[in-house]
Amino acid sequence: MTDYTQVLFKNRRPGETASLETYEKTGGYEGLRIALQKTPGEICAQVKYSGLRGRGGAGFPTGVKWSFFPADQPGEKYLVCNGDEMEPGTYKDRQLLLADPHQLIEGMVIAAYALQAPVGYIFLRYAYEDCSQVIERAIAEAEAAGYLGKDILGSGFSCELHLHRSAGRYILGEETALINGLEGRRPNPRSKPPFPAQRGLFGRPTNVNNIETLANVPHIMRNGNAWYQQLSAPESSPGTKLFGLSGHFNRTECFELPLGVTLREVVQEYGGGLRNGKRFKACLPGGASSPYMTAEHLDVAMDFNALEEIGSRLGTAGVTAFDEDTCMVAVTRNINRFFARESCGWCTPCRDGLQTISWLLDKIENGQGTEDDLTMLHDQVRNINGRSFCALAEGAMGPVEALLRLFEDEIKEHIRKGKCPFG
Amino acid sequence: MPKLIIDNREVTVPEGTNVLEAAQALDIVIPHFCYHEALGAVGSCRLCAMNFLEGPVEGLQMACMIKAEDGMVVSTVDEEAVELRSHVIEWAMTNHPHDCPVCDEGGECQLQDMTVAGGHSRRRFHGPKQTYINQELGPFIQQEKNRCITCYRCIRTYRDYCGGTDFGTFGSRNRICFGRFQDGRLESPFSGNLVDACPTGVFTNKVFRFKSRVWDLQEAPSICPHCSLGCSTIPGGRYRELQRVKPGINRETNGFFICDRGRFGYDHVNHPERPRQARLDGQQATVDAALTAAAQRVRQMVEQHGPDSVAFVGSARTSLEAGALLAEWAKRTGSPHLLFETHRERDRAARILVDRLGDRACSLAELQQSDLLLLIGTDLIAEGPMAALAVRQAVRAGAQVVVIDPRPIDLPCSCTHLPVGPERLPVFLDTLVTRKTEALTDAERNPLQALLEQLDAAKTPALLGGADLLGSRGISRLLDAAVALDNNERPVRVVGLLGGANSYGGALLTRSPRDFDTLVDDIQEGAIKALVCLESDPYRECFDPARAQAALGRLELLVSFDCTPNLAAQRADIFLPSRPVAEMAGSFINNEGRLQAFEQVIEPGISIRETSSGDHPPREFSLETPGALPRPAWQMLAQVLDLPGDLPAIRQQIATADERFDALTSLTADETGPRITDPVVLPDTAPDELPQCVPGETLPLLPVQGFAGSDWLAHLSAPLQPLEGEPTIWLHCDLAVRLGLAEQDQARLTTPLGHCHVTVRTSARMADNLVLVPHLWGTALEGLVPGGRHIDCRLEKEVNL
Repeated sequence: MTDYTQVLFKNRRPGETASLETYEKTGGYEGLRIALQKTPGEICAQVKYSGLRGRGGAGFPTGVKWSFFPADQPGEKYLVCNGDEMEPGTYKDRQLLLADPHQLIEGMVIAAYALQAPVGYIFLRYAYEDCSQVIERAIAEAEAAGYLGKDILGSGFSCELHLHRSAGRYILGEETALINGLEGRRPNPRSKPPFPAQRGLFGRPTNVNNIETLANVPHIMRNGNAWYQQLSAPESSPGTKLFGLSGHFNRTECFELPLGVTLREVVQEYGGGLRNGKRFKACLPGGASSPYMTAEHLDVAMDFNALEEIGSRLGTAGVTAFDEDTCMVAVTRNINRFFARESCGWCTPCRDGLQTISWLLDKIENGQGTEDDLTMLHDQVRNINGRSFCALAEGAMGPVEALLRLFEDEIKEHIRKGKCPFG
Repeated sequence: MPKLIIDNREVTVPEGTNVLEAAQALDIVIPHFCYHEALGAVGSCRLCAMNFLEGPVEGLQMACMIKAEDGMVVSTVDEEAVELRSHVIEWAMTNHPHDCPVCDEGGECQLQDMTVAGGHSRRRFHGPKQTYINQELGPFIQQEKNRCITCYRCIRTYRDYCGGTDFGTFGSRNRICFGRFQDGRLESPFSGNLVDACPTGVFTNKVFRFKSRVWDLQEAPSICPHCSLGCSTIPGGRYRELQRVKPGINRETNGFFICDRGRFGYDHVNHPERPRQARLDGQQATVDAALTAAAQRVRQMVEQHGPDSVAFVGSARTSLEAGALLAEWAKRTGSPHLLFETHRERDRAARILVDRLGDRACSLAELQQSDLLLLIGTDLIAEGPMAALAVRQAVRAGAQVVVIDPRPIDLPCSCTHLPVGPERLPVFLDTLVTRKTEALTDAERNPLQALLEQLDAAKTPALLGGADLLGSRGISRLLDAAVALDNNERPVRVVGLLGGANSYGGALLTRSPRDFDTLVDDIQEGAIKALVCLESDPYRECFDPARAQAALGRLELLVSFDCTPNLAAQRADIFLPSRPVAEMAGSFINNEGRLQAFEQVIEPGISIRETSSGDHPPREFSLETPGALPRPAWQMLAQVLDLPGDLPAIRQQIATADERFDALTSLTADETGPRITDPVVLPDTAPDELPQCVPGETLPLLPVQGFAGSDWLAHLSAPLQPLEGEPTIWLHCDLAVRLGLAEQDQARLTTPLGHCHVTVRTSARMADNLVLVPHLWGTALEGLVPGGRHIDCRLEKEVNL
């Protein structure tokens, strides 16, 4: 394993959460001090030129998102941290919080200052009991140390953070559904426009960022853009990324790696190869909604652009591996069941289309599939992709579309044999 | 005005129109579920896909979510769009049961239309369907959850548009369903709209269930007779039975919805005790004979005792045509006594409103555009329910609402409520006119100062007041306040809630400077000896029924035209059976002066089911339909006056005689209706002083209208009976404590009219030191008519022995 620079995980110790003291010793809250010397506009510009891209899955440039925010508009404005982390195969935000939670607090205070949105909400996945305790402690420590609350570090800027634990649905990761949930409404996504930056939480301008995204901000502030960009090779995807490994790897852990490492390195060096010496068949590179990569993609660089070029997405970089004995129809069926179950039920293609796909995949996997079912599967994907109200169904189509593209022979074998060839 | 091209055809539409509406303007019908003109578009059904070929938006889009813009080139027949639509409808049908043959929605199922239009015909999904347990939702709505296609229209209608709170979305994914948290009657007075909003048979009309297939109904555009707003309706009947009412579309008045009183109040038409036979001196007679006798005896009376000895009294449910002919009859006899309301204050309030409303008139559509609404002395849910919905839409668009009223007003929207006693209403109105706040108490001053500031700042303010609580004086002061609050930028609009469907029209026709209470004096003294009642009941609909009944006993001749079993009909020397709205054509003028026509829906007659007593067809054969004798009042009056008996001729005659009614000659029932706003010179209608209520040893009692049970026609409708409930009084919590009474206690109410037993309800949101009594026909409370001076009363707790 290469000794890559650790940024987000530099204070990670097994079974330990970094205290404020540890965090401060390693440069913690220096970024905030630097930021408070700058104007909000200067911070936004710096984040924009750093090239930081959203770590929640979409990879949208964070600084560009911030530049849409009406920071100088009077009245209430909100900063929301999306900690709903419910993408299957994804647990990197949890690892980050359990390792070194003050990065998030510091990142949020800097963002709140840059966006002039002095009220922040951390929207946390319902199941993350341990993280919620860690965050609450970190908030209390930061308040006591003057990094949070009134007149932060004598700058005159005040900021309050609230922890809100989700009632728990996948759809809450969608930012407008999250806002509805935070308001106490049914978490159906809202139509865009208006975007949250115009009308978000309680009808006010709101900026929503992922935990890992915000945690990057203090380091950019403290070390500068040149440092940040040299952390990784691809110009389009600077910085490090937390890769959460799961599935048939020998080592299912979370690693901080530079963006642009090859899939082969992730699989062989960090995943330690596959269980029982089996061959690598495929993986989900970035959570359950990212289209599969296969062995032929092992030399592809794991960064936002390179993965898009091969028809997949880096997503959350939660890499789930499948060995040669895995039935990809069964995998896809499982994944699709999850998405069908987590559909909020607002729009027809997602609510009833995903269910139809589940039914088709069940049929095929159970050996009752026909050529007509394969045709129907194709037309379902074609008519769900890009046709639904929000991105949930589109994400759900990732693995199904990849199954049809990469493993059509395997589907046909199910149909031909009248049973699953993997037994 | 954006100009765009849809399917190679150019169309120009108003700013803000969405592309689905633009296509509809070209008569291109694209299937859709979530879009509804009144509810807007939310983009959930994904059915109205079109391909945007050129312009600011490109690619496949949901047309309802895209605002029409210049330069757009759109295809609705694009292959991808057509394919998507067929898939969406296929998905929507995934769980839909195949119970179409027995479904109550049959014949008006939008889902069926959309399925055909969407191009889905063969089921490919053979998995298990989702099923649900239905809920008992009360007397009006039948629920069949399995039919739901999750279009969200019900929730958007019930909660968002109508402001109901006891109905919600449950579950997620493909297990979503809509209903109440638990079984129980839907509380919203607009619950019936679920039936129309649901595109399929999840929510159907329980009262109408199993009565008819909708294609067998006789239907025609009509006007609701249950309040003064004049909502458009489409009643449907079959076998001479009126079986249901659904809303008609009038974008100026009710829009697309109606209230439950309007929807379920129709059954007065089928009332088993409805008088259908003409009578002459207690004997059955033919209509012709009774009419001849009526004309003759009135003439004799005039010859013997002079024209002053005859009085003519119409009502707020009299059609404009019949009213005009009644006026003609009075004119021919020379009688100065012509009224269209036996309730003194409702009568005078209507006349003052008609005289002075002019351009301040405000339709419900205009009311929705208001930014500040002051509701003073009106409980809209009781006096004009659809106005409450209009107020809600204004609030949804950002308007503020201030309510000044003694009652615990329940509006379907947020408002600021000052619960003051009725005696304070004139003081508040005076303050609005003069801006002098000396007469206000310290507690009243600040809110009213704030209100004045709000009114001054408002761009489209409206004042709403009810005839019952404000009376003629109050309505007059309300109009004064509007004048005082006008500024160079905008007028202040006024909405007056009047006594009935044609109160405005009746007031326009009124010739007498007097009101019914003074006529009662003349009857008592023997100066008036004959009374012609046109669909009115002076025995019970006036403010002081006891006094009226004593005097009316002295009449030498009582002629009654009516379609309901009221006291005037029972006691008349000459009775003539008339027809209710659904059985004739005619017109009403609503509270904003809007003249609207209605058409005949069904012929009168006892319905076949009633005559057959279980064995059909009836065994007694006759050339005549049983119970079919009632005729439109205007037809009978035309016969009395020896005028042609067809409606066009009568309308022509009315328009010729009075140019205010010019529009009558070309009026059709499907138009929004012209507004009659010409200032009218009426006989002296100087407003009375408002009743003063001096707190003393006894308790002041204020009769008020309720949502159900106070409207005579609605009271006669069996489906509304469950809403009427027991006789009830309302007290402020503090007063209840002082009287030793608690919520739901049984109490004995003593008034000059006698004793009755009532259930006590308490509220902290109403005026103190006041007993509110919702008027309830058919109970001991029916003599407590709203709209006049307060009565003293005593209340004692009932002790169970």
